[in-house]
Amino acid sequence: MATSSVRDAASTALRLEVWVERNLRYLLLAPTVIILLGLTVFPTVYMYIVAFQKFDPSNPAASQWIGFDNFARLLSDDKFHNALYRTFEFTFFAVSIEFALGLGFALLVDKHIRNLNFIKTVLLIPMMLPPICVAIVWKLMYAPQFGVINDIFKRVGLHPLQWASGYDTAMLSVIIADVWEWTPFVFLMCLAGLASMPTEPFEAADLDGASSWQKFRDLTWPFLRPIVSITLLLRIMDAFRLFDQVYVLTLGGPAAATETLSYYIYKVAFRFFDIGYAAAISIFMLIVTLMFSTWLLKRMQIAD
Amino acid sequence: MRARDGVLRQRRTYVGLVAGVATAIGMTAAAWAADLTLAVPVGSEGDGLRAAAADYEKLKNIKVEIVQAPYANLFEKAANAGAQKTGDFDIVLMDDPWLPFFAENGYLEPLGSYFKAMGTDGPDSDFLAKSLALCRNPYNTGPYVCLPYVGNAQMFFYDPDQFAKHGVTGTPKTWDDVIKVAGEITKEGGGNNFGYVMRAAEGNPVVADFMPIFWSYGGQLFDKDRKPNLLTPEAKQAMDVFLKLKEVSPPGVESFNADEVGTYMAQGQAASSINWPNWVGTFEDPNQSKVVGKIAYSPIPSGTHAGSSEIGHWLMGITSASKHKQAAFDFMVWATSPEQIKQSALRGNPPVRFSVFTDPELTSQKQFRHFPILMNAINFSTPRPRHPKWPEIENAFGAELSKAVAGQETADQALQNAQKAIEAIVSR
Repeated sequence: MATSSVRDAASTALRLEVWVERNLRYLLLAPTVIILLGLTVFPTVYMYIVAFQKFDPSNPAASQWIGFDNFARLLSDDKFHNALYRTFEFTFFAVSIEFALGLGFALLVDKHIRNLNFIKTVLLIPMMLPPICVAIVWKLMYAPQFGVINDIFKRVGLHPLQWASGYDTAMLSVIIADVWEWTPFVFLMCLAGLASMPTEPFEAADLDGASSWQKFRDLTWPFLRPIVSITLLLRIMDAFRLFDQVYVLTLGGPAAATETLSYYIYKVAFRFFDIGYAAAISIFMLIVTLMFSTWLLKRMQIAD
Repeated sequence: MRARDGVLRQRRTYVGLVAGVATAIGMTAAAWAADLTLAVPVGSEGDGLRAAAADYEKLKNIKVEIVQAPYANLFEKAANAGAQKTGDFDIVLMDDPWLPFFAENGYLEPLGSYFKAMGTDGPDSDFLAKSLALCRNPYNTGPYVCLPYVGNAQMFFYDPDQFAKHGVTGTPKTWDDVIKVAGEITKEGGGNNFGYVMRAAEGNPVVADFMPIFWSYGGQLFDKDRKPNLLTPEAKQAMDVFLKLKEVSPPGVESFNADEVGTYMAQGQAASSINWPNWVGTFEDPNQSKVVGKIAYSPIPSGTHAGSSEIGHWLMGITSASKHKQAAFDFMVWATSPEQIKQSALRGNPPVRFSVFTDPELTSQKQFRHFPILMNAINFSTPRPRHPKWPEIENAFGAELSKAVAGQETADQALQNAQKAIEAIVSR
């Protein structure tokens, strides 16, 4: 009797082990898949659902279905229009300047100071800092009365500006902080592109007596274009969802002059608890980003 | 055969590892399971309650966990927990304008039955009436859903020497006095000294600075039928006064929050402001302030009506999804007892009890000399309009005020646009 129960237990243990062994690959994958489902897939699906609902904070499960009402509200919401405009304004100016400076620096460093690794490292520091720290440092520097920038302005006889506090200068302040932080990224990408360029075509061009401009236009630029496209795409997508600097520097003000889409979504969702409308704006933002990136990739002919 | 054994052993090790990690996570979770979990803000209010909770832990030999988050994040966390009914927090320390949102969405446990079990109808009468009124929903009439912990109300902070030099001795009685004196000080200051400093960052800050002035001129954001009420002569007059105060404030007030206002005052670069009492400690601390002993505290000046501060209490409520409601209630009663409120005052948080406000042991000390004025300010204070959509209303109103302060809109345009925006929010 005792022997048979021992045998039973042993066979159960064996069966369990066989089962575990057979399914080990699934078992080992399970935690990752569960986390992914919980943190990415579920919220995304939920966003699509709640975008068509009037979210009821007292009982989310009983939220009313309202069809496309949340999306219709986008048409008449001035604050949303303002946020959209500010986001485009920021993205256009910040990325253009970052790009001009980053490419310029890369060409300069590549040509003339290729071996000065120290300079390359120093140029990369801003990118390594957490965006929130960058924003806090700039906030302190921008302070109208006690900040270092206005102090320098006063010392050299310039009229001090209100920077992040002024309606006309707030967006400029956010752009400057972003350019300071992200130019190194463009620089690094362009530098990598330049470093991986073949030397033969350039030697041939030299033999043919091509000018620097001709070499840039006909050789450097075409070789660099795929890298430039990817860099632009990454920067534009990142700039389009700007949040941290606005949150720290201006809180979207003054008079909504720096209220970007991300910040507006945050306010609608977590200050006003209007989750359905916030989801609708998020979906709109996703569609714009997708359309734009597809267009850019096609245009730059690197989609395939 | 040996190779197969090796693979098997390796797999057994994997299985063992997975099981081990799972057990470890389970045990850690069990070890962390607290008897009470409190959500509190970053800053003196949250620090004070955290210190009290640590005392309570020792006293009762239980485990109290504190979740501390910055102001806006605390609201998000508590609101999310409320909507999802997770019961993550047993007690939330709330800013008073959040209360209608939390209470009307059913996130808070009504306290009536707990008081009844204690043999009373509600909190004792040593609490200030205005403090208790905030804890009932609807305001002052409904059932209790929380207890007051930190007793804030705005006061007028000013430098009596500078005001006296310009002909106003004693407390400035009216906003006209303030505008006149502040204008002269700013003019003489040559860009380094200002008569007034305004807190005008978009959103909550600019609204908090505007409301007492609005009330001083008889303005009311909502009429009796809860309809927006901004197109009145009173509102226009208050707006004009507000913009005049902006003229005599330092440049850049458009982005000033409490920190900037406090810095200007502490550095002696501004002669007056509306401020919250927790700044008193900073101004009286020689390490942080150049104006120790020089700042006087007074009620809000009058306009056409008596001046009234904005009340801004911190309130403790039990979440309706809590699994430790009785324990949470016991803690709240303990933490708001006269002894503990006094302890809280000593930790830098203004009290909510008459006996603590008038405790000679406190009022004889320099850092508590503003207590009689603060108690008065609370007694004559006005709450922000009680509306479950207040955060959104405040945002819309704040956006228009911000435009007016930044010179993007005239006072009339700002009021008209704010009226329209608030109407849209209320009717949605």
